[in-house]
Amino acid sequence: MKTRRFTHLWFVLPALLVYGLFVLYPTLSAFWLSLYNWSGFGAKMQFVGLDNFSEALTSATVYRAAWHNLLFFVAIFIFQNTVGLFLATQLDTRPRLVQFYRTVLFLPVIISLVATGFIWSLMLSPNIGFLNPLLKDIGLGALARPWISDTTWALPTVITVQAWHSLGWSIVVYLAGLQNIPHELREAAVIDGATNWQRFWRVTFPLLAPAFTSLTVLTFIQIFRTFDVVYVLAGPIGSPAGATDVLGTLIYRTAFGVSTMTASSSRMSYAIAISVVLFIVLGAASTILLTQLRRREVQS
Amino acid sequence: MTDLTLPRTAPQTQPYNRHRLALHLSRVGRHLLLTGACALVLGPIVYLVLASFKSIPDFFDRPYGLPQHWEWQNYVRAWNEANVSVTLTNSFIVTSAAVLLSTFLASLASYGLSQRDKVLTTALYVLFASGMLIPVQMTMLPLFILLRQLGLFGTLFSLIFPYTALGLPLAILILVPFFATLPSDLAAAARIDGATEWQVFWRVMLPLVRPALASVVILNGVWMWNEFFIPLIIAIKPATQTLPVGIMSFVGVYSTEWGLVFASVVISALPVMIAYMLLTRQFVAGISAGAIKG
Repeated sequence: MKTRRFTHLWFVLPALLVYGLFVLYPTLSAFWLSLYNWSGFGAKMQFVGLDNFSEALTSATVYRAAWHNLLFFVAIFIFQNTVGLFLATQLDTRPRLVQFYRTVLFLPVIISLVATGFIWSLMLSPNIGFLNPLLKDIGLGALARPWISDTTWALPTVITVQAWHSLGWSIVVYLAGLQNIPHELREAAVIDGATNWQRFWRVTFPLLAPAFTSLTVLTFIQIFRTFDVVYVLAGPIGSPAGATDVLGTLIYRTAFGVSTMTASSSRMSYAIAISVVLFIVLGAASTILLTQLRRREVQS
Repeated sequence: MTDLTLPRTAPQTQPYNRHRLALHLSRVGRHLLLTGACALVLGPIVYLVLASFKSIPDFFDRPYGLPQHWEWQNYVRAWNEANVSVTLTNSFIVTSAAVLLSTFLASLASYGLSQRDKVLTTALYVLFASGMLIPVQMTMLPLFILLRQLGLFGTLFSLIFPYTALGLPLAILILVPFFATLPSDLAAAARIDGATEWQVFWRVMLPLVRPALASVVILNGVWMWNEFFIPLIIAIKPATQTLPVGIMSFVGVYSTEWGLVFASVVISALPVMIAYMLLTRQFVAGISAGAIKG
């Protein structure tokens, strides 16, 4: 039996080597690089200690981008827990055509965010788009606007595109949660004379806590790392005038410059320092979120 | 999941017609609502398909109508001029190689890590799981340098290996709990019959986690096929570009050829769509399993 004490580690080893080389090693060298002043090109490196971090933590641009991420998360969170949850409860009543509805509603999830961004940027384009002419033709021309290039409407537009893309995911997660709830519980509540509303809030929703927890934490991580949808709709500078700038685009732009990979405008070490801060905050916040939400699950 | 024919709460026979009417109305309302939601989801997709057949004047003249005449040429030109023939092949090679490799390595590791009574399993599990939190932006430059040092730069391996490694955390998060639920007597019995550790894993345990393997393949397959940021940084040479990046760089060159761009977007989405239509239930179950287990 003694010989078998370590055999399980042989199974882990190949994965650990690949993971160590292509994930852990780059992560550790990122921590190390963040202590230097380096453009990312050439050999000129200078040790600057925590200077990059103090700059990141006092930069208004970083806070603005983080604020946009936060707004983005809150909006998607509300959308998933109202529209997504409501549609899931409707599907849970197993109406006719339930397979069809579920198939269609889930469809955007498997389409790439790049493709999604393209579709919407064309639909909303002021020149050749489809939404503005449609609004004019049905007499709502006053609502037509240059959506993505309007400073007020740009961020809500990006959020809408993301909401369209991830609606199906929240529906499916909640639907799976709803189907795990034993029918007797809800029937018992009916017999006890609970109204629909009471039944939902007192019985169904507390039992959905595990689905709520994982959906919230995963959405949180996903939205704070978001890049594709903003990049395709608003470009690397988060146009117009940084109205849609999020941490993902800010880090990308700082690291690689705005247009091409030119050494002039790129500050690799500083960009890495911002992403290290993001990593630490993300790790801490999702741990807190996870433990708090799990505690709520246990109580209910 | 929805195929379980659980008895629905039988509608109680209402003595009042008013109740029956209300019930009927709520059923009609539900269908209207769900149909409306489906229309909002399908609208942009139908629009994409129509747009891919339009000529440039059509975009101005008939912004939301059918194309005046169907421009199949868009697809031919996308295939030849937009480099889709190359990027599609690259996407297929990279995705399938990375999915296979990642799933294989993750199932080996998960089998080892599921033996909770053994040394180091919890620490290693946490180490793999924490990979879920790493922002890719952080590791991209060190990775870039590493790939160049290894001489992988400019080959498809420069995408296959990072994808494989980044696919491991999620795969291990899904597979370890699954392996852990298998009764340990099974492995013990096989060992008594003289099976080697490898045979226990390959012949006895692995076949039993097949549903979880399907989830892993689908989840990782979808993100790898759609991944944009990593190839944007790593695959600078056109010969190694995958579809999402290929389309994006094509937009820069032909910014007004909307029909062409949309034809290539359709081509890029089609393989996943077909797989989804054929395996809808596995897709839905797989992707929600990723959320529930995580």
